[in-house]
Order: sequence, then structure tokens, then C-alpha cells
Amino acid sequence: MIGLGALAALPIARAGESQESLYVWLAALALAALGVAVALGWSVLVPVSLVVVGGIYAAQLTVDDARLDASAALVAAGLYLTAELAYWSLEERALVKGEPGEGLRRLAIVAVLGLAAFVVAVVLVALADVVRARGLALDLLGAAAAAAALLAVWLAARDRGATGE
Amino acid sequence: MTRKGSPRIEGYAAVAAISLLAALVLRRPELAIVAAPFALVLAVGTRVAHDPAVTVEFEIETERTLEQAQLEATMLVRAEGAVDRLELLVDLPANVDVDDGMDACALRLGPGQERVIPLTLRCARWGVYPLGDVEVRARDPFRLVVWEQRTSGRHRLKAYPRPIELRRILAPVETQAFAGSEVARARGDGVEYADIRDFVPGDRVRSINWRASARRQRLVVNERHPERNTDVVILLDTFVDVRGVGRSTLEEAVRAGTSLASRYLERRDRVGLVGFGGTLRWLQPGMGLTQRYRLIETMLETGAEPTYVWRDINLIPTRVLPPKALIIGLTPLVDPRFAAALSDLRARGFDVVVVEVDPVPLVDERSGDLGKIAHRLWILDRSVQHAKLEALGIGVARWGETGLEAALEGVRTFRRYARLARG
Repeated sequence: MIGLGALAALPIARAGESQESLYVWLAALALAALGVAVALGWSVLVPVSLVVVGGIYAAQLTVDDARLDASAALVAAGLYLTAELAYWSLEERALVKGEPGEGLRRLAIVAVLGLAAFVVAVVLVALADVVRARGLALDLLGAAAAAAALLAVWLAARDRGATGE
Repeated sequence: MTRKGSPRIEGYAAVAAISLLAALVLRRPELAIVAAPFALVLAVGTRVAHDPAVTVEFEIETERTLEQAQLEATMLVRAEGAVDRLELLVDLPANVDVDDGMDACALRLGPGQERVIPLTLRCARWGVYPLGDVEVRARDPFRLVVWEQRTSGRHRLKAYPRPIELRRILAPVETQAFAGSEVARARGDGVEYADIRDFVPGDRVRSINWRASARRQRLVVNERHPERNTDVVILLDTFVDVRGVGRSTLEEAVRAGTSLASRYLERRDRVGLVGFGGTLRWLQPGMGLTQRYRLIETMLETGAEPTYVWRDINLIPTRVLPPKALIIGLTPLVDPRFAAALSDLRARGFDVVVVEVDPVPLVDERSGDLGKIAHRLWILDRSVQHAKLEALGIGVARWGETGLEAALEGVRTFRRYARLARG
């Protein structure tokens, strides 16, 4: 929750006076959603809180209409780490005690994944800075990626309906 | 194993999809960068996740135990593929507790690795328990995919009731023809001295009482009581089970029944069983260790089977109730049909004794004057019931606060006086 709060603070700090109060309200909503998700075990609220904070960031970028934002790598890694930690908290609700040292091992894995996310995001930021391509082909590629992600959501939802391998 | 997506897979896909759409709509590459880690983890994680093919074997050291006794069990877990987190949950039936070890644990297994997880179990009360149901949940390192499996139990653990210490048991009025440990009222070859009588041709020389013969100036012989066995039938009331906190009349009745049956069988008596209630169960009288196990296992499967149908002893096969048998009724004396059956048996000449598992402490008095009066009336009605049974010559052992042996001693005294009264 601290991580999500810090991530939400970034666009709020950059926002003008007119948007600030709206962003603060949205950030509070995201934090509340994450808190409820972790406290009550409602995993569906985890992506909701992430999307809301991502939305604040997107709104700030659109309103400012700035050049490529280098802090996108930090936001990407931060959101990913927040998601990992939130789902880890939800898994711990199962009350199945693990072996000694399992927590530390998991923490190391999460740290490595977070670092990898940051590195990947930094590389992408650098690429986006260098390659300033625009056009129909890129739009189609983006649409295809979004469609693939939506398909993944649908497949995941179908899998959770107890399908065998 | 059944493969399922974890909540993480939905969440990551949703965040990635929305971010990518927003990037397209708003034309901001930063949002596509935000989506990248989520999409990458989804792509790599689902690609590397493979079914670990976990097998679990649940074993117990024995399928027969005593209630409150410890029992060792083991879980052998084997995985063909690597499992980052394998969660095992042993689904134990009610009244089976874990004394040592954990019924829910998580571990990590390498490819082809196997682990043995020991467990110490304890049955809180007697009964038949299915054991071996284990829920297995395996997770991949990215925690995107969950494989689930439930292994069904194949063990039937029989927890026998802990026997009640009984030094003396009730002797039947009449014995049977076979040799046993009960001194018969009849005279014949035996150890216990009975009387002397005049010698008649055919008497064995070694039975002549030489001292008495010298005094009487004629030959007299000793008479003895032979040791015979008896037939005992345990009549279990399954019409009703009065339950309280940590106690139930049927549980106590079964505990008393198994203890009495074991004690009679140790004396080479034949013991039979009739479960008289909604469903009639019976076991013909028999002797020996096999009969003991048969009796106990039949009683373990006995439960209260209420019915509104009137039942009487005509339903019981005659071979289950041998002549001269001692019939011990184990009952809370709540259902009038059971009391009627006891009276009927007595009227047919059987030697009947009732061990009444006292239900009064288990029944709370209702608040209010009406509740108090109803409770008093019920207790008075029970006293009338006892008096009626005793008037028929049926000894009633009230087993409540005092031990079973003390209750049986009361019946023994009653039977002594009842015999004198009849004589």
C-alpha cells in the first residue's frame, strides 16, 4: 500500500491545482480498494487499484502532454511490485504454513522480478526515445497486443472454471 | 491434476490489456511500457508452467485403534516435475485430531524428489473414520498457474471404544449346557461344593465324602455345582440419542456394551447383539475373539435411527434370543417402545436387566414455571417407569454420575432380593 501510495504521489505532485484534488480522491479510492482486497481476500480489487493509479498517471501524462516520460520505467516496476506483493498477501491468507526460509526465498524472487521489470521498462523507455515511429502499422501492432491481452484474460477466466489440462 | 489460472493471471492480463488500449487511445508509449512487465510475466510464466505430476500416498500404521490412542500416519509425496510451492491439506473427519505434525503444510520439491511427512493422529471418540483424503495444490514459480488434485481416502480407521474397568459382571439366573466360568445352580461335576447326599449305585468312588460317611455310618457323596457358560444378549436402544456437551447416551451405551461383551466373552460365554430402533440389527450369540470383533464393529456402525413406526420384539428373530439368556438392555429409557419391548421380553420368561444411561443431566430445564413443571413431570414419569420395570423383576442400573460397576452392583443387590421374594 505504501508503494501504491508513492506511485500515486508522482502524478499528484506533477499535477496542477485544478486536477490535484481529483487525483488525490482517485488515489484514496485506489488505496482503499487495495486495502479491502488484502483485508477481505477479494483478489478482483487488486487490478482495480492498479488500474486506477495507472489511470491517474495516464491522465497526468495526457494533460501535461509532455515528451516521453522517463519515470514510466519506475511506475511500471512499481505497479508490478505492488501487484506481486498484494497477491502474495492474498496467498498467505490460506494459512498453510511453509517450510522455514520460504518467505525469504519468495522475497528474493519478488525482488528479482521487480528488478527485471525495471530493467525491461528502462530498455523500453530508451527504445521509445530512440524509435519515434508513428503510423497505422504501429497502431495495428498495439491493437493486436491489446487484443492478445484481452484473450489472455478470457482464457484465464475460462481456466478458473475448473478445466483439466 | 486439474490446471487452473490463479487470480494473478486475470489481474495481470487485465492491467496489461487496459494499459495497452489506453496507450493506443491516448497515444502515450509510457502506458505500453507500464503494461510490458505484466505482459512479459504472463507470456513467460504460462510458457514455463508444466504439470508437476504430484502423487500422494497416505498410509496409517494400523486400521484398528482405541479411542484416545495415538496413531502414526505418513504421507509420501512425489513430484515428477519441480514444484515451487506444494500445499498439502489432509482432510480429516470430525473427531480425528492431529497430535503431532501438521495436517496443512507447504513444501518445495525438485524434479523426481519425494518426501515423507509424518503425522500423529488421535481419535477423540470411537467410530469408523474414512482416512486418506488429501487436497494437493501445486504452484509454479511465477504463481500464475495452480494445479489441484484430491486423492480419495482408501483407509477405514476403526477406533474401538476404550473399555470400562469392570471387576464383576452380572451373573444370569440360569446357565447353558456348555462348560464355562459361571457356577451353575444345578448340581453335577464341578469344583464348587454344593451339598452331600446318600451314595447310590453308579456314583464315583472319588466323590465319596469319607469323613461325613464315618460320622453317619453310611456312604455319602459330595455334590458339586458345575461350571457352565451363559448366553448374554445386549439389547441396544437406537430409537433415540440424547446428546449434551461432550456426552451422548448412545456413545455411552456402546462403550458399556463393548466392555460388557468383552468381559462376558472372556468367561467363554456366548454374546449376541440386537440394535433395537428405527433399523433392526442383530448378531447371533457366539463366543471367541472373532465374535468380539464382530460385536464391536457392529456397535461401531450403530447410530440413532429414529422412526415413528411402532416396533416390538416380534421383529427379532427367535434364534437371536436363546432360552435362558440374560438380556442386558442399554438405554436412556426415553422411548416407550423400548420399555415396552423390555417388559415383553420379561413376560416371555427372559432374564432381563436394564443399564439406564442417565439422560437427566443432559436435558436442560426450560426457563419459566411451565418449563420447570414439565421437567419435574418428566423426572416423575421416569421414576414411574423404573418402578414398573422393577415390579416386573427387571433390575435397573442407573448409570450416571457413578461408575458402571457401582450401577451394576445395585442391580446385583436388587436381583438377590428379587429372587428371595420370588422364593
